[in-house]
Amino acid sequence: MSAAVLEQRPQILARAAQGDLESFSQLIDPLLDPAYRLAAVMLGDRSAAEDAVQEASIKAWRKLRQLRGDAHSLRAWFLSIVANECRMARRTRWFSVIKLAELPAQAPEGRESSSDLHRALMRLAPDERLPLVLHFYLDLPLDEVARTLRVSPSAAKSRIYRAAKRLRADLTMEEVF
Amino acid sequence: MSNENFRRELNHTFDEMSGSPSPALRDRVRSSIAQAPEARGPFWIATVAACVIAVLVVGVLFVGNPLRRPTSNAGVGAPTASPGASPSASPGPSPSATPDAQLPAFTCVQQDFVFNATTAPTPTPPVAFVSSLRTGAHDTYDRVSVEFSNGMPHDVQISTRGDTTFTQSPSGMAATLKGRKGVLVVIHGSDLHSAYNGSLDIVTGYPILAEVKRLEDFEGVVQLGLGVNGSGCYRAFFLTNPDRLVIDLQGAG
Repeated sequence: MSAAVLEQRPQILARAAQGDLESFSQLIDPLLDPAYRLAAVMLGDRSAAEDAVQEASIKAWRKLRQLRGDAHSLRAWFLSIVANECRMARRTRWFSVIKLAELPAQAPEGRESSSDLHRALMRLAPDERLPLVLHFYLDLPLDEVARTLRVSPSAAKSRIYRAAKRLRADLTMEEVF
Repeated sequence: MSNENFRRELNHTFDEMSGSPSPALRDRVRSSIAQAPEARGPFWIATVAACVIAVLVVGVLFVGNPLRRPTSNAGVGAPTASPGASPSASPGPSPSATPDAQLPAFTCVQQDFVFNATTAPTPTPPVAFVSSLRTGAHDTYDRVSVEFSNGMPHDVQISTRGDTTFTQSPSGMAATLKGRKGVLVVIHGSDLHSAYNGSLDIVTGYPILAEVKRLEDFEGVVQLGLGVNGSGCYRAFFLTNPDRLVIDLQGAG
């Protein structure tokens, strides 16, 4: 997000909340890439991930007035909407039947270690993958991971560690954080 | 695998899984937001929901007709003037909730009532089964309702008499009812035993309508004797939803 946008964010947020589409786009554009990456890992499907981000953006636009806190809360708030959209997408019957059946075919054929890790990741439930994506992949600080997950920071830390341990059993807490 | 390697491998795997978003995603999102309703969602949703609920409620009330009003003038009783019938008698389209001015006038002479089925959906079966007999007291009149379960009877004949002694059929035995005057109701094409299991002799205790008694329930003819204390005059009409014959007995006047 550019410095200019960061400085003006409170005003932009206020205008967006009043229904200014251009202001909302300015706020949401930098968040689309991390939102997409989060959705893609949660859903294991790139096309479905873009759909989820699109739906989440519409919901964020409609619910922007419900955003609590300042403009700095926007990223965690938006990513939590994306995560929720992914959960809803997975609940639909067609997704469960068709997309999950396709997952093994999508495993990358690369180095052995990467393939092992990929398989281990796909064995995790999407909600177990979520804290790993937020912490390791999107590099969110712990408190922002906690806000996205809507849990306390200590609970967020615990979830990250538990999920990471399922990928690599010999990990220590110090190695993760 | 060291901690750094683990992080690198993990991010590499995440990269492989997600790839990059398509360049069109930004425009796609912007376009979909532009087409979406503004951030006023709950209000318009609430408005639409309120309209839908209102329509449903009106529909249910219309179909259920809880006030028991006839859906239209069609199908309401059409009294056929017998010799000496009051010329003022007219079809009575309304139930008790309707102002009295819209109900037929009280009459003290014999009338035949034929249900007009030509413009109403209510059938007139060969035998209309009486399903309930109800009585009620009002300020200036008492009411008897004869409800039918499967449609209206073909023909109803009502007459008054100066006493309360009737002849039961087919036994031929006399029956004297409470009250000072009598009203005889003869329903052709009906029976009182297929769908009715209530009392066959109702003593009301009302000031006008004293008693309702079955006089005949034989070969598709039902006769009811009414013992009354008022003028002995009455008005009668058919109502639908449910199908019923309504007879109001006038107080002393």
